[in-house]
Amino acid sequence: MSEAEEPAPAPYRGRLRLLPRGGWSAALSTLASLAMAFLALITLATGIAAAQLGADWQAALSGSATVRIAAGAEADADAKVLAILSATPGIAAARPLDRAEQAALLAPWLGEGEALESLPVPRLVDVTLEGGGPDAAALATTLEEAAPGTVYDDHGSWRGPLIEGARAVERLAIGASVLVALAAAGMVALAARASLAGNAEIVRVVRLIGGEERFIARAFVRPLAWRTGLGAAFGAGLAALALTFLPGAGEVVGLDLAPDPLPLALLTLAVAAGAALIGWVSANLAVRAALAELP
Amino acid sequence: MISLSQVNFGYECRETLRDLDAEIAPGSFHFLTGPSGAGKSTLLKLLYLELRPKSGHVELFGEDPDTLRGPARLMLRRRIGIVFQDFRLLDHLNVADNVRLPLMVHGRDPAAHADDVTELLRWVGLLHRAEARPRALSAGEQQRAAIARAVITSPDVILADEPTGNVDAEMGMRILRLFVELNRLGKTVLIATHDLGLIRSARRMATTRILRLADGQLTVGGAEL
Repeated sequence: MSEAEEPAPAPYRGRLRLLPRGGWSAALSTLASLAMAFLALITLATGIAAAQLGADWQAALSGSATVRIAAGAEADADAKVLAILSATPGIAAARPLDRAEQAALLAPWLGEGEALESLPVPRLVDVTLEGGGPDAAALATTLEEAAPGTVYDDHGSWRGPLIEGARAVERLAIGASVLVALAAAGMVALAARASLAGNAEIVRVVRLIGGEERFIARAFVRPLAWRTGLGAAFGAGLAALALTFLPGAGEVVGLDLAPDPLPLALLTLAVAAGAALIGWVSANLAVRAALAELP
Repeated sequence: MISLSQVNFGYECRETLRDLDAEIAPGSFHFLTGPSGAGKSTLLKLLYLELRPKSGHVELFGEDPDTLRGPARLMLRRRIGIVFQDFRLLDHLNVADNVRLPLMVHGRDPAAHADDVTELLRWVGLLHRAEARPRALSAGEQQRAAIARAVITSPDVILADEPTGNVDAEMGMRILRLFVELNRLGKTVLIATHDLGLIRSARRMATTRILRLADGQLTVGGAEL
C-alpha cells in the first residue's frame, strides 16, 4: 500500500500512558497492599472492640457492688447490713439474693442439688450504685463493725486488671496499625523508587523534551496510589467479610470483632481511603526526592 | 540565538571541551563535526541542558539557563527539539503516540493536534506505520519517528546527534532532506555528525556552516571540508 493510500492514525483516545504497564511487580504491590489492609482492618477492629469492651466493663462493674455476709454471722446481721446500705449515700438499691439465685451462682462449682443446704455459704447482697458510689473504705468499716465478717466488694480488685487488659489490647492494636501503615508507606516508597529506576530512560526523555517534574511525578504516583488503594479496598473488604461471616470470628479472645454493619463499613472505607492516601503521599515523597537527585 | 562563551566541560578523568566560543544565528544550519570522542554529543548535551558547563556560559534565546530555575528553564528546553542518536522512542507507545508525547508533556491537547500528527507522519513517510511499535521499525524509520517527535511542538531549534549514524546512505539522504526542509521553514538546525559525505550533500541543498571540534577546541569552518 502506498503512503498516499494510508489512513490517518487511530484517533487519540484521550489517554497516553507515559509508563508501560507494571506487570508482575505491580500485581505484587497490589497484593501487598491487600494483605496490609486486611491486617490493618482486623487490628483496628480488635482495638475498637477492646476499647468498647473496656468501656462496657467499666460501666457495668462500676455501677454495682456486692456485700458478702459471713456464713456464721448473727441472725440479725442481714437486717443491720441492709439498714446501713439503705442509709448510705451513693447506694441506689440493695437486694439480698434469695437461695435460688445463690444456688444458680454456685451450681457450676457445687452442682445442682442439696449441697447449698448443707454448706456454710455466705449470704450475698446485690448493691446498685448511683452517682460516684459510696466511700468504699468507710462503708466497709461500718459494715464490719455492725456485722463482723461482712465484706463490701466494689469489684475494684478484678475490674482494674480487666480494664487494663482491654486497654493494653487497644494500645497494641493502635501500635500494630501504625506499624502496618508505616510498612505500607515503606513498601510504596520502595515500589516508587523501583519504578523510577526501571523507567529511568523514559524519565530522561520526558525531562529532555520539557516535562515538568510535577508531570513526571504524577505519572508515577497515580498508578501507585491507585494500586495501593485498589489492593487496600479489596483487603479491607475481605477483612470486613471475614469479621461478618466467618464462624467464631466474633468471639476471638472474647472480643466482639464484628461490630454493627455501619461502623464496620465506615471502618472499611476509612482503611481503603487511608491506604490510598498513604500510597499517594509516600509515592509522591519518594518520586520527588528521586527526581530531585537527577541532574 | 545560541551562544557559547568560554565554555569548559570535562568528565572526571579528562577535560572534554576547552574555552569554547561560538554563535549560532536564528534560522541557520550548522553541522558540528569532529572525530569520535571529540565531545560532539557532550556539546549537544550542554545545549539541550542535560549537562551544565564547568565554567563559561551557554546562552539560549538570550537567556543564561544557569540563572533560570523551574518553569523558566523548562520553557527554554521546550524551544529545543532533540533527535537522539539512539532515537529514544518509548517502546510501549506506538509511533503516533510517540509523536504525540511532547504535546502531552507540554500540556497541549493531543486530540486538538490530530491533523498535525497525521501531516507530520506523512511528511516523514511513516503514516503507514503510525500504529506500529518502535521495535517493529527499521533504524531509518525509528530515526524519522524521532524527528517527527522532535518537531511536533514546532521548536525554534533542532539539535540532532548523528541522525544518520544508524542508517544506510539512501535513508541518510532522505533524513537529511527532512532537516533541510525544516531549516527552510525557519528552524535553526544543528547536526552533530562525523559523516563528511552527509555534510557535502547538505551543502548542495542549503547554506550551512561547520563547527569543527577537535582536541577540545571548537573552530568555525567555512566551505572547506
